[in-house]
Amino acid sequence: MTIILRIWLAVSIACGILAPAGSAVAADAKPLNIVFVSPGKTGEVYWDMVAQTMQAAGRKLNARVEVLTSERNYRTMQELGLGVVARADKPDFLILSNEESAAVPILEAAEAAGIKTLLLSNSLIGEDAKRLGPPRHILKNWLGDITTDLATAGARMANALIGAARNEKWQSPDGKIHLLAIGGDEITPASIARNAGLQLAVAAAPDVVLDRMLFANWTQSEAEQVAANYLGWAQRKGIRPAGIWAGNDPMALGALKAVAAAGITPGEAIQVVGLNWSEDALREIKAGRLLLTDGGHFLLGGWSIVLLRDFADGCDFAATSPHVEVKTSAITRDNLASVATLIATHAFDQIDFAQFRAKAGHCGQYDFSVEALISSISPPGGAGE
Amino acid sequence: MMRDADGMNGSSKPAPSRSVVRAMIWATVPVLLLVQLLASAGVEVSSFWSQIRQLDARIARVAESRAELIAEPLWKMRYDRVTGVLNEIMHDETIAAAAVYDDTGVVVARVVARPEVQALTEVSRPINYSNGNMAVQAGRIAIAYSYATLYMDAGSRLGLLLVVGLLATLATVIAMRISANIFIGKPLAAMMSAIQRSKQDSRAYPADVKSSNEFGQLAIAFNAMQHTTSGALDRLGHMASHDPLTGLPNRRTLSERLATLSRDAGSQDALIAFCFIDLDDFKGINDTFGHDAGDKFLVHISERLRGTVEAEDWVARLGGDEFVVIRPEVSNEAVAQAFARQLLEAISEPIMLHDKQVVPRASIGLAVRRAGDPELSHLPALADIALYHAKSKAPGTVAVLDEALQHDYRRRRDLELAIPTGFSEGQFEVWYQSQVDLVTQDIISLEALIRWRHPEHGVIGPGEFLPLIERSGNNARLTRYVLTDACRALQQLAEAGRPHIRIAINLPPSELADHSLAACLRETCERFDVAPSLLELEITEGSLINNMASASDTLRRLRRLGATIALDDFGTGYSSLAHLRRFPLDKVKIDKAFIREIPESAEDKAIVGVIASLAGTLGLTLVAEGIERAEQAQAMREMGVRLGQGFLYHKPQPLDAVLRQLAEIGGGEDRGLVDSPSIAPEFAA
Repeated sequence: MTIILRIWLAVSIACGILAPAGSAVAADAKPLNIVFVSPGKTGEVYWDMVAQTMQAAGRKLNARVEVLTSERNYRTMQELGLGVVARADKPDFLILSNEESAAVPILEAAEAAGIKTLLLSNSLIGEDAKRLGPPRHILKNWLGDITTDLATAGARMANALIGAARNEKWQSPDGKIHLLAIGGDEITPASIARNAGLQLAVAAAPDVVLDRMLFANWTQSEAEQVAANYLGWAQRKGIRPAGIWAGNDPMALGALKAVAAAGITPGEAIQVVGLNWSEDALREIKAGRLLLTDGGHFLLGGWSIVLLRDFADGCDFAATSPHVEVKTSAITRDNLASVATLIATHAFDQIDFAQFRAKAGHCGQYDFSVEALISSISPPGGAGE
Repeated sequence: MMRDADGMNGSSKPAPSRSVVRAMIWATVPVLLLVQLLASAGVEVSSFWSQIRQLDARIARVAESRAELIAEPLWKMRYDRVTGVLNEIMHDETIAAAAVYDDTGVVVARVVARPEVQALTEVSRPINYSNGNMAVQAGRIAIAYSYATLYMDAGSRLGLLLVVGLLATLATVIAMRISANIFIGKPLAAMMSAIQRSKQDSRAYPADVKSSNEFGQLAIAFNAMQHTTSGALDRLGHMASHDPLTGLPNRRTLSERLATLSRDAGSQDALIAFCFIDLDDFKGINDTFGHDAGDKFLVHISERLRGTVEAEDWVARLGGDEFVVIRPEVSNEAVAQAFARQLLEAISEPIMLHDKQVVPRASIGLAVRRAGDPELSHLPALADIALYHAKSKAPGTVAVLDEALQHDYRRRRDLELAIPTGFSEGQFEVWYQSQVDLVTQDIISLEALIRWRHPEHGVIGPGEFLPLIERSGNNARLTRYVLTDACRALQQLAEAGRPHIRIAINLPPSELADHSLAACLRETCERFDVAPSLLELEITEGSLINNMASASDTLRRLRRLGATIALDDFGTGYSSLAHLRRFPLDKVKIDKAFIREIPESAEDKAIVGVIASLAGTLGLTLVAEGIERAEQAQAMREMGVRLGQGFLYHKPQPLDAVLRQLAEIGGGEDRGLVDSPSIAPEFAA
């Protein structure tokens, strides 16, 4: 599959703009006007990267993407969203993230205004989900959502820790492998999902004990604090800590600091895993201190443009499901090299997003895997040539 | 008597009602205060213990609720949040410190709010963490807290209770005072006031108490008692101011009357006549007719006086046989005298006592003074001066106080006051007058005669000052003085070669009753080493009559010592022949009144002749007094009177002069020696 894609990619580059047979998108297709109201803050790596991949994909897929940043203020976010809805020149699509369920009023306003909406990363939950039902049911203009499968990510990270500990025989005097988990919070679906994955993996391993599921509010300093507390406690309890699972990279980095402060060498006497594909994490992986960082879900931005382009061009992803769930991938020392530069430079224009469009007759079926990603990347300076 | 009682009760005047109220308060208030303080302290202590228990429970609840809050952050190792939760409870000021231990027993959070607080109590609770899957003990919470706040609160509340208790007590005291004053003090004060007024006026006033409680009843009883007392007081008052026998005002009333005399007088120049009446020989009536008759006699007199005076006059009986009549306004002294004489006449009407007619006799001292005279209150004393004069000079008459009487009175008073000085400074001198043998002209004996050489009044005769000596109780002293001088004189006579001349001493009547006289005489004679037989004691008939038994006894004792006894002034008094026989006498001295008219008066010659023959029969030696002429001496000799005394021979003179005369005369002692044994027959026996 990868090889075929690579060949196809190389050929297409070499031949300039080809119109592959069955392609739903014509180069001269109607340009799209898309607005993304970001819940994040300027400088907040994840949401910046989401917006950047969105815009990079727009450039590839003839869509003008306007990004509005609500600076982590949900009231601002709602004002921005409602402002867009009220515009005379209404956009074709409005991409929202339902963090803290703040996007619901915008969603409903857009419905009234006839603007098509797509929820990214955070979909409807709880009461909202019950009340509004599935996409295109009550809210006809809500096309659906695109989210990451973080439960799998959490499990994958845990399994990596368990595997490493088993290999190194880092059992405590009680014969069990003792782990610490540091979650971001206990409320947001994104956190709950990855924590649930962790719990599943631990439950499946009878030789593993999760001493604590701690929460550090996604921040490095708090993670360092709770990790230090845990390490101290473990020492008093006569426990040999084998691994620390962190819900994101900053918390993993905090845990690393605490480990070092406790006189334990990460990577040698204990393993730490994180999530997000952050640059710092990649550096720690390279240094052998961090076991892995899972993630890549910032690419949801690019993938959402792919979905909308296909939708606009008549290939509705709802043909498969209005809920598009994208799997994440782990970056370890093994595959670090392939994506390190991309992530370090944010050179998302290297990604050929057109490659990811659904094939005719397979609307809604996408391959957003890291392998597909790696194969879609063109080396800087037109290495394909 | 009443007045004294007033004075004594007056000093205890502070109203007893106040004392009762105060005593009630003193008895009640401390108990009240104590009970109040104890009760409130008890309540406070129990409240304090319940607060302690409440605090314990509260802190335990705090620990439990904190344990719940802390469980999750502790389990999730958010020790900063644990500390945060602990910090929240530090607002509770009773909590001093709190700590959280994890399941390894290590302190993961500690907060110390009040390190200075002492006496800590600690409560500890487990911290249990649970979620859907598990339940574990994540650690423990321990809270240290202090009761200091409670102690302080309890202390301040106790202080407050004390203050409130004191205020309540004060209010009670005030209320008690007010109510006690109303219910006790007032009625008591009303009764006290009635008592005070009663004391002042000597009348019984009722107390004005209207209430119907016990005090009201007490007041009714008190008033009933006052009513009873009132009559008694009236009677008592009358008795105190009146003579029970005659019903006349008494001496006490006189003082009051004198005090008001000046005030009641019409003008300051009005003349007031004050008659001081003394019945003559009232003792004789008592002795003769008995005391009942004497009382009846006094009642008669008082009725006569009452009947004689006018309405504005005032009659009182001072006691005994003394009456006073005051006429508050007379036009002049002559009128006053006429009034006094009128009184005398009224008194002198005969009275029948025991079917016998008695003619009362009285002397009146009259003093007339102006109403404005400052000496008005001395009227009784002034009238008494006049009365004294009347009694001594002219009994049964009215003596009016004049300057001469007052002068006499003052002289008498001066002399009387000077008697002690007279003794101490030796102003009394003993002069001697000789008794001679009418035949041989020899000096047989000397009569000791007392003189007073007063520094201001000169030489005063015994007639003037002896009554004063007697009245001032100095008779014995004077007698001993004379006795001593006589003994000394005997000593000197012996030294001058006249050991047989004897000395006669006059004994006043009171000395005859003195049993110690004989012993004194013997002792004095021994002191001067003279024989008692050289002493002769002259007595009067009056002194014998007044105390016959003791006089006789004394005379016998004296005679046993060797002294001879002479009856002086014979013939002027009773001249009782029985006396001459009955008493142990050696000598009789014929009064000079019988000698003066001899030899001209045949009657006197007859009397002296009878006396001389009687004396001869009874073996008594006769002495004729007051011989001034040679014919008198001749007549005496012829009548057989052996001895004589008088100016014809010698005047009384000091001993020195006597001794000089004796020296001039020379010899003569043999005759005296012959005489002496015959005149002391009992001494030999």
